Amino acid sequence: MSILPWLTAAWLFGIGVYGVVTSRHYVHLIGCLTVCQSATYLLLLSIGYWWGAGPPIFYDHPPGTPAVDPVLQALVLTDIVVGAAVTALLLVIALQVHKRRGTLDPQSLRPLRPSQ
Amino acid sequence: MPAQAGIRLRETPDSRFRGNERNGSRGSIVTIAQALLPVPVLLPLAVATALLAVAHWLPTAVSNVLGIITALLVMLLCGYLAREALDGQVLQWFGGWTPASSQRPGVVLGISFLADPASAAVAAYVGFMFAAALLFAFGYAETRSHFQILMLLFLAAMVGFCLTHDLFNMFVWFELMSVAGFALTAYPLGKSSLEGAFNFTIINALGSFMMLTGVGLLYARTGTLDFTQMGRVVTASGADAVIGAGFCLIAAALLTKAAIVPFHMWLSDAHAVAPSPVSVIFSGIMVSVALFALGKIVAQIFIHDGAVMMLVRTLFVWLGTATAIVGGLMAWAQRHLKRLLAFSTIAHLGIMLIGVAAVAPAAMAGFVLYLFGHGLIKGALFMVAGILLSLRASGDEIVLYRKARDLWPAGVAMAIGGLLLGGLPYGLLHRATDTIDPSAAPLITAAIVLSTALTGAAVLRAAARIFAGWSGAPGPEISAPTERDHEKDDRPFWLMLMSCALLLAVAFTPGTAVETFLSQATLRLMDIQAPNVPPPERQPNALVSYLPIALTIGLFVLSLFRQRATTALSRRLFHAELLPFRALQFVHSGIVSDYVAWMMLGLAALALVIGW
Repeated sequence: MSILPWLTAAWLFGIGVYGVVTSRHYVHLIGCLTVCQSATYLLLLSIGYWWGAGPPIFYDHPPGTPAVDPVLQALVLTDIVVGAAVTALLLVIALQVHKRRGTLDPQSLRPLRPSQ
Repeated sequence: MPAQAGIRLRETPDSRFRGNERNGSRGSIVTIAQALLPVPVLLPLAVATALLAVAHWLPTAVSNVLGIITALLVMLLCGYLAREALDGQVLQWFGGWTPASSQRPGVVLGISFLADPASAAVAAYVGFMFAAALLFAFGYAETRSHFQILMLLFLAAMVGFCLTHDLFNMFVWFELMSVAGFALTAYPLGKSSLEGAFNFTIINALGSFMMLTGVGLLYARTGTLDFTQMGRVVTASGADAVIGAGFCLIAAALLTKAAIVPFHMWLSDAHAVAPSPVSVIFSGIMVSVALFALGKIVAQIFIHDGAVMMLVRTLFVWLGTATAIVGGLMAWAQRHLKRLLAFSTIAHLGIMLIGVAAVAPAAMAGFVLYLFGHGLIKGALFMVAGILLSLRASGDEIVLYRKARDLWPAGVAMAIGGLLLGGLPYGLLHRATDTIDPSAAPLITAAIVLSTALTGAAVLRAAARIFAGWSGAPGPEISAPTERDHEKDDRPFWLMLMSCALLLAVAFTPGTAVETFLSQATLRLMDIQAPNVPPPERQPNALVSYLPIALTIGLFVLSLFRQRATTALSRRLFHAELLPFRALQFVHSGIVSDYVAWMMLGLAALALVIGW
């Protein structure tokens, strides 16, 4: 396996975090979070990848045919489902925050404010 | 069987698994305990699903009662499992995918639940706390049972998190726990609760990405997700950068959940704005269960990995110490009751991490005892905060000044809670502090004493102000963030008080009653083959035993006699005192971007120490 997917994953995670830290809008921030998440998918898939191996589906291949690791694909699939739920929840929260505060700028939103 | 071409395999002798073949499906004997093992997770999930189906016509009171019964059943089942597990491990490979069924030694494809006595006891405690929280929440939520359904989902996830013996499965429960927590935080749909839930979600979602990456890296090196097998491969492989990186990422995720400096900032937001019954669960168990999982992973997988153990035994101890001090100081400087309690939770989590980081059976037993004791007291205190939010429509100790004199029983409960938190030498928490502490260096002991006293005194100060009207001039808490919020107000006072009193009563259990069980259980948890060694005799350090409560009372009395700064000198002194608190308040800004930056700093610190 080449080192390229690892570097790409690190880069994706880095720019995702940079986006989250510097974001001035909740929806943009949620987008950046999904970029971070893609980094983990890429890393997992590249760990399971095997040069020259086929998909891990065996109904028309004899057992023993080289195949990529199905465990990591299962991990990625599971996390995509959870990730979708989290993103949906975040977007709903962002919508509700906008209804109540009229802004989505993280710099001007904080849960509790100083009393003076 | 699919070809495992992409997996690096290491063949290891497999005697332990061969012993477990009887747990497989084909014609083998399955004990009652094994058969019951998945039930504490399946039961709440099933009840939640059934409630969801009939939620549109079922009265919420009924679903609340069903929720309480379910939580109690989970408690009883896990208690039974804990007792059975003392005699021999209770293990279940789902679908009969035992290690033997792969036909290849060293290849573990199945997913298992393993009830060791400590994990099952923690799961039983989870059930108890949910029952108490749901009892307290009676009448709180009346929208189609959604609250109860989410709570049951939360319960199932947390029990699964305790019982699982598979790293990815643990991640799934971790995520499920998080998602239920996010939704419950945002449940009131108030301004603050939404923003708190947003911060909570972003930080914890990032944490779970790190965890998933860590799981992937460990799988890449070890070719398995099962704790036992992974531990074996890690032991065989020696120092390895990828394993170290995987551990760092998983540890960062669990430390985020457990709110350890510098990953801790989300907690004070989320716990302060979540509904009080949910805060009971958050502070009482959710965060400490993450530390329990960390201790379990370290003991079962990484115990022979030198680099990881070095990281745990040095950096984690100092992170715990820093957390204890920061949490204690911040708790002292709060005026919003739930935020105060949230910072106190952070302080106590720091103390717990000191126990976990020792990676020794005695300290681990102390940690589990601390988890019980702290959760019970903190749960009771959050219930008092909930009573005030419900019946007096505020959670601010200065706004509530003298406003709750007729709710004096709640005041008594809060004072008892404050004293216990501040080191009153009775009950589980005090015993646990004594057990964690002997392993610590003097500087760490000082930090434990200081943060215990600061949190206890802060609670006592708030109780005196609200329920008795005793108060000196406000100190650094005057400029702390606060919020005008309230909770549904037509709930019976006696019922809320009853669940609070129940938790406090259990917190007074003498620690010696559970210590024998815990010392055996932690030996099993850490897989140490010396079950008949009696726990080492400890010399209780009198100074450490009584110093915290003395310091707590001292700080409390000091706050009672604080005078308004009128002269030039006293004003200058007051400003000098405020300075460190202002700096801390400034750092805990409530802005999610800052939190993420701190989190990455923490991750970098872990990576640096392990790389070095």
